[in-house]
Amino acid sequence: MKNKLLFILAMSFILFLSSCQTVKPYQQVNLNDPDMKLSSYKFKKFVTTFQVYREGASGANGGKSGGGCGCN
Amino acid sequence: MKKIIWIFIIFPMLLTAQESKKFKKRVLESAEIDILSSYYTQSGNNAAVTGGIGNEDLQDVATNINVSIPVNADDVLTIDATVSAYTSASSSNLNPFTGASSGEDDDDDDDRPSYTKRAASQPITGSPWVASSGASKSDVWLNATLGYSHSSDSRNTIIASHLSVSNEFDYSSLGGGLNWTQLFNKKNTEIGLGINVYLDHWRPVYPTEIKTYIANGGNLNADFFQGVNIYNQSGFVIDKNSANAWKPQTDKFISNKARNTYTASISFSQILSKNMQISIFSDLTYQSGQLANPMQRVYFKDKPNFYIGNPSDIQRYTSPDNTQVFQLADAYEQLPETRLKIPVGVRLHYFITDFLVLRTYYRYYFDDWDLFSHTVNIELPIKLSDKFTLIPDYRYYIQTQAKYFAPYNQHLSSQTFYTSDYDLSAYSSNQFGIGLRYSDALMDMKLWKLGIKNINLNYHFYDRTTGLKAQIVSMGMSLSLE
Repeated sequence: MKNKLLFILAMSFILFLSSCQTVKPYQQVNLNDPDMKLSSYKFKKFVTTFQVYREGASGANGGKSGGGCGCN
Repeated sequence: MKKIIWIFIIFPMLLTAQESKKFKKRVLESAEIDILSSYYTQSGNNAAVTGGIGNEDLQDVATNINVSIPVNADDVLTIDATVSAYTSASSSNLNPFTGASSGEDDDDDDDRPSYTKRAASQPITGSPWVASSGASKSDVWLNATLGYSHSSDSRNTIIASHLSVSNEFDYSSLGGGLNWTQLFNKKNTEIGLGINVYLDHWRPVYPTEIKTYIANGGNLNADFFQGVNIYNQSGFVIDKNSANAWKPQTDKFISNKARNTYTASISFSQILSKNMQISIFSDLTYQSGQLANPMQRVYFKDKPNFYIGNPSDIQRYTSPDNTQVFQLADAYEQLPETRLKIPVGVRLHYFITDFLVLRTYYRYYFDDWDLFSHTVNIELPIKLSDKFTLIPDYRYYIQTQAKYFAPYNQHLSSQTFYTSDYDLSAYSSNQFGIGLRYSDALMDMKLWKLGIKNINLNYHFYDRTTGLKAQIVSMGMSLSLE
């Protein structure tokens, strides 16, 4: 029952997002600003790296998920 | 192995077989180079190599170069290389007794040209609070990654692959990945899927006393231990031939040296309005193999303590005032051979005004080692002018303790798994950062034939409730070949 509810919530959320206002390409000036890019800044690469080494959590941050190094 | 290379390199290239002859905007107009260098330093009192206490001072200098080359209108080749050189007080204490024994030791130190064997009358000292001069105090990590991406004519589909290799003194890695991105809804919606595999390999190094014990079949009068007194908690010399003499619980070398990581990634991005967009993503990760680090010592509270060095410092062993005595390890770190990690992240970016953007990030993480964490990060780029941007940021992190963690000398010898690595303990941290970026879309400034697109200078300070503090300064530059 709980899994069904989570699935319905997830699909509803995705449908909700899809129904958001469609912004045409010529209207995306602000969204195309370099600071609006939906990713971590390139200059924080080594900051993210030391966080992977020093913290128990990893992943979902543009950095390593535990492979490629003797880290967490 | 050849089949893996074929999959990761050739597959995206085959997608370029049928190219349209119509004019289309190139994915990348000209070659670009990103250079990033950083200096990192940390201090703390919970070194894992010395069982959860001891000097954690570490410095690291790293440089990354990333070159993106347009192969044609649709494809980009990426070459990425990183060099990272560190010096660490804690890893130097893999052998805390520099030039220790007068026997035929095989530790790191006698590989150095300057090594002088200790005379039998020379006293031995060592301490978790004092960095050793052993060769293990420094190392270099090298990484190279080759990537290739192909975009469809509509630019709505992007397929990318990469191969990577890494190496340091006790660890090597071979990795690869495939990613697929699809945009739709007039590029308002984006879905991404990816898989990454790392096939890694340890070349294990062990604490000197454990390595020597195993290599000599438990003989406490051979090799490193020859002519060296071992003391009990009361400071008396023990009989090394006694059945009650020091004996580590981990009395075998590691047999399975593989460490593999498999990651399945999914992301969903959506434009919410002309000024706001959101992204939700996850990197489901499964690790298997040798996940414990054999360098890291563990001490048991239900086992007697044994020391080498000056016995007068035994009673203040856990204090930085101890500079002359070292406790022999009861074991090296033992952890399960599997780990399942589930992080879920959200990014929400809002264009507030022409000179102010709000960037927010949240991640929830949990794994089957019972470690749960929350991460919140806020960045506020402020455009001071058309060329300069100031970027303050704040990050808060909190985690629970992994179920196999206990502080120094708190584990029981009856446990199957144990670690005193404070990176797996319960703590929270605050990170403050400030950055300055110079940007020039016209690239008026040049470096030889390369136009300078932007220059970044950043500083971050990290403060953890375990007492560890770190600072990192980074400088980066993006260049474009005209």
